[in-house]
Amino acid sequence: MVPNQVDSVVRLRGVAKTYRVGSVDVEALRGVTLDIHKSRFSVVIGPSGSGKTTLLNVIGAIDAPTQGSVELCGQDLGLLKDDTLSDFRARHVGFVFQGFSLMPVLSAYENVEYPLLLVGMPASERKDRVLSMLEAVGLTDQRHRRPNELSGGQKQRVAIARALVKRPDVVLADEPTANLDTRTGASIIELMRNVQEKFRTTFVFSTHDPQLMSHSDETFTVKDGQLVTQGAHP
Amino acid sequence: MMLFKIGFRNILRNRRRSAMTGLAVLAGTQAILLFGGFEANVFEGLETGAVQRTGHLTAFREGYFLYGAGNPSAYGIDDYRGVIRLVSEDRVLKPLINVVTPTLSLVGIAGNYSGDTSAAKTFLGVGFVPSDRAQMRAWNEHRVTLASSEAPLKDDDPSIGFVGLGIGRILGLCSPLKIANCPQVPDPPSDRPVPDSPNQDFKDLQESDVPKDGNLSHAGMPRLDLLGATANGAPNVVGFYVSSANPQGVKELDENVIGMHLSLAQQLVYGRSTPKVTGITVQLRRTEDLEMARSRLNALFRENGMKLDLRDFGDLNPFYVQVKRFFGSLFLFIAAIMGVIVLFTIVNTMTMAVLERTAEIGTTRALGVKRGGIRRQFLLEGALLGALGATAGVIVAALAASAINRAGIQWTPPGNAQATPFTVALWGRIALMVGTWIALTLIATLAAWLPANRAAKLQIVDALRHV
Repeated sequence: MVPNQVDSVVRLRGVAKTYRVGSVDVEALRGVTLDIHKSRFSVVIGPSGSGKTTLLNVIGAIDAPTQGSVELCGQDLGLLKDDTLSDFRARHVGFVFQGFSLMPVLSAYENVEYPLLLVGMPASERKDRVLSMLEAVGLTDQRHRRPNELSGGQKQRVAIARALVKRPDVVLADEPTANLDTRTGASIIELMRNVQEKFRTTFVFSTHDPQLMSHSDETFTVKDGQLVTQGAHP
Repeated sequence: MMLFKIGFRNILRNRRRSAMTGLAVLAGTQAILLFGGFEANVFEGLETGAVQRTGHLTAFREGYFLYGAGNPSAYGIDDYRGVIRLVSEDRVLKPLINVVTPTLSLVGIAGNYSGDTSAAKTFLGVGFVPSDRAQMRAWNEHRVTLASSEAPLKDDDPSIGFVGLGIGRILGLCSPLKIANCPQVPDPPSDRPVPDSPNQDFKDLQESDVPKDGNLSHAGMPRLDLLGATANGAPNVVGFYVSSANPQGVKELDENVIGMHLSLAQQLVYGRSTPKVTGITVQLRRTEDLEMARSRLNALFRENGMKLDLRDFGDLNPFYVQVKRFFGSLFLFIAAIMGVIVLFTIVNTMTMAVLERTAEIGTTRALGVKRGGIRRQFLLEGALLGALGATAGVIVAALAASAINRAGIQWTPPGNAQATPFTVALWGRIALMVGTWIALTLIATLAAWLPANRAAKLQIVDALRHV
């Protein structure tokens, strides 16, 4: 799993994705080619239905392109079978979902611990890692609470901690602030930015809020399934 | 560990639904166990009754089992004492055996011509050694509660025996034997000819063939005259004092059976010739030794050139086998119905759980859980629901069985002559309890397979989009 280009964590070449909705084929992505570099805080923007989520799904190996190739950390995802893809995601990809998607029967601590169990980390190391991650997102005191006892912002902090705890090569966040009020959303973006800098993780998040662009190192604009602009911020 | 934690907490997540599902499993477990315990008690009661009457194994002369009822005396075993000695002294059989005793089956006519009574009836007689029979009647390997319906006889008074309730009634012995349900004898239908009284013939035969009673006391016992044909075909009669009328459980037996001392039966059948017996009954200490004993007895008979045919208590009591099969089928039927109820309940519950947790399935798959992991999670939850319900079912069934056993309910089991306590013999039935627990937990796990498989096959992005 040696990267083809050391600096490039994500490489998409001519990626297309077509969905069948009833009797109609919907082209969610059309020939997207892009590179996302290591330790960047990148944002994918575009209006609703533009293909942002599909793009992140394809990058995160939870959806397969109809055409083209996707390389993550130098691994061509098209060559991997389902179980191997699951292992790959468990080790290399972190997700932050719009709706938080925490497991309701687990406490904040257990939710953060869960990805480490999947990679078989020893208990003592796991505990240290979880506690330091919860401290990084400011939830040490709330670690025993279940998701239904946490606010929206706190839930998303737990989700960020869960995504980062295994030190993945890339964290994908699909509209992480969509279900939060402006102030909380801003604090979440700031938190993501801080932990990204702290852990030097590659972060890709999607949003339809142009104001969030200012936080990013690089912006990809998607429209009608195509990458229309790509630009780096100073 | 996390798998169990998540599974257990998910069960508690929808408490009402889980409780209803658990209750269905509990009810299924309880029904199977209570019926199983009741069935076991019936089997043991039947087995005990059969073994007390006919022992575990009986050796007959070849051909007797199929044709002997027509002419029992023709199938007598010559050197029966030698056979008994051979069996009793065998070093393999000795520790297994409780009783080895001779029996003689016969047919004849019993008549009561005392006082104003003049009644006669064909009978099926059985001759036995009273002390051996008493020892056989005491056999109770399974410790079941069976009311004794037979007064013991004495070895030293061969002229005393018992009759079935029905034959006692027919022969006009209601008053001396205190037989219940004996209304006034109705007049015979007028269109049927009234047979000539054989009173004088019986008296003549009696005077010529029956020894005097000597100093034996038979005070208060009614006397019957038993007419039979000897092995040579000559008529013979013996006097017989009836100590009691015993219920036999089946009307046909009640109206035909007469039990008597072996020597009296031999006197009736063989007269002054060499006495024989029709069967040698072997009662074992434990039923589980039956096959071992059968095999050893067959070997012994073969080695000693004895043409004897061994029959077990199932052969001699077809009713026992029929009732056992009937209850066995009923048990399987009930178990199958309960299994189907549990199956559909778990399928329904797990299908609902998968539907409600579709987005969660998408999340866990995205985090790196494999399809097999999702499948295992839901299978485990089905198994947990089954195991918890079955465990509660075992506990409740044990409590219910205890309450039923203490309630003092009486019933008359099939083939029994008298009412016995209604018992659910669940205590100590480890195989039944563990087997039921495993079966229902397994059914619950299998029932979860379909929803679990559906969950495992979900596409991640579809699952994540699920609202």
